Amino acid sequence: MSTTAMTDRITEVSPRFKARMAGAFQLLEAITASFPGVFVLGKLVVDGNAVATAANILGHVRLFWLGFASSLIGVACHIAWALLMYELLKPVNRSLSLLAAFGILVGCAVQALTSLFYLAPLLILQGGGSFSAFTAEQLQALALMFVKLNSYANDIYLVFYGFWCVLTGYLIFRSTFLPRVLGVLLAITGLGWVMYLYPPLAHYLFLPYIAVASALGEIPLESWLIMMGVNAQRWKEQASTAGDWRS
Amino acid sequence: MNTPVMVERIAETSPRRKARITGVVYLLYFLTAVLAVFFMRGIVVDGDAAATAHNILAHEPLFRLGLATSLIATALYIAVTGLFYGLFKPVNRSVSLLAAFFSLVGCAILALSHLFDLAPFVVLGSAQYLSAFKVEQLQALTMMFLNFGAQTVNICFVFFGFYCLLIGYLIFRSAFLPRFLGVLMALAGLGWLTFLSPPFANRLSPYNLVLGFLAELSLMLWLLAMGVNVQRWKEQASAAPKEERV
Repeated sequence: MSTTAMTDRITEVSPRFKARMAGAFQLLEAITASFPGVFVLGKLVVDGNAVATAANILGHVRLFWLGFASSLIGVACHIAWALLMYELLKPVNRSLSLLAAFGILVGCAVQALTSLFYLAPLLILQGGGSFSAFTAEQLQALALMFVKLNSYANDIYLVFYGFWCVLTGYLIFRSTFLPRVLGVLLAITGLGWVMYLYPPLAHYLFLPYIAVASALGEIPLESWLIMMGVNAQRWKEQASTAGDWRS
Repeated sequence: MNTPVMVERIAETSPRRKARITGVVYLLYFLTAVLAVFFMRGIVVDGDAAATAHNILAHEPLFRLGLATSLIATALYIAVTGLFYGLFKPVNRSVSLLAAFFSLVGCAILALSHLFDLAPFVVLGSAQYLSAFKVEQLQALTMMFLNFGAQTVNICFVFFGFYCLLIGYLIFRSAFLPRFLGVLMALAGLGWLTFLSPPFANRLSPYNLVLGFLAELSLMLWLLAMGVNVQRWKEQASAAPKEERV
């Protein structure tokens, strides 16, 4: 098969299939990216207690590494999801869709780097003799500091994710091939995440407001994408009339 | 007006309007970036860990406001990057995309630098476990994180240096913007590239920074006031090879 034919075949993947894949990657991202925070750190970290936290982490090293792998897989899923959403929403507005993709790529880079800070406590606690210049209490305190820094890094990622949700919500709203309400809900979700510009405010609002907004914005979208895909007929119509800011 | 017509109207956004939008977003970036510096001025005292720690705790809301503003500035620069990509695509699609990728890497590093500026709120917190360290040690750790942050910003300057060089080249090769702006941007890029060696860059400071500031300011003002030469933009766009659109 010639390259052109192959390229054609790839571009011919139906919008409905792309939408289903986007929904699947979104769901996978939600599970794998939240696993380390909710099921590893959430389980092992005892707030304000460095000694107990250190003991928990050292007692669950394999779980901890599993969380590390899970967070990286989450980033990979996020990049795939973002690319598919870019492709799907290009017919609505090419420039805004590209801008959303650029923004979330920066977010994904930050998200990937949070795994370094996630890993730091384990590296510090397993340092052994080479770290003996510090007392055990100091190493435990350092480990807990890095747990907090990991969550701060995640806050920065959430800001970019929030901007992406607002832009993507707008594009869904303006599209003819996805229900408008999904766009409105996603934009509201995005505004919630953007609150992480000022983390104390976001932590104050998280339960219930931001958490509920997130569930209401993200769960309907991924369910719709997986089960219904997009209206392929209307997608093709919008794609053929678009040519936004063409070169 | 029905939806297809509206979509078409958006699709037909003229290059002049595009240039103006770019100018406005660029201006917003400038304002937020300057505002962030203004909010955080005087808080970090070079070489004085105790004074810095004291200032951060005494001005926590202001410091956090500065960081939030700076993050917004980063997001706006991503928007500027996307808009420049669209504007310079007709000149050379590949170079335009390459420039955008450099800027995106720079923006990611810039975004991450904020983390190190947030670290003092962990290290200088009131949690009991921190008493494993002496106060002086915690203040020194604070300074260490702030220095990491400053060096992270230095790294992103290098990527913005390559970005400005490429944008300078694209402006120079374009028929729709004056060439002197391209030369200025390329010089600005060289100024940022001095951060390949931060000690060298610091010795040249503030001249290398003033260069970059003036170049970007002139480009921004030109886009706001003059836009682009629409006729020439369209000529260049129609002459560009018709590859698959990105």
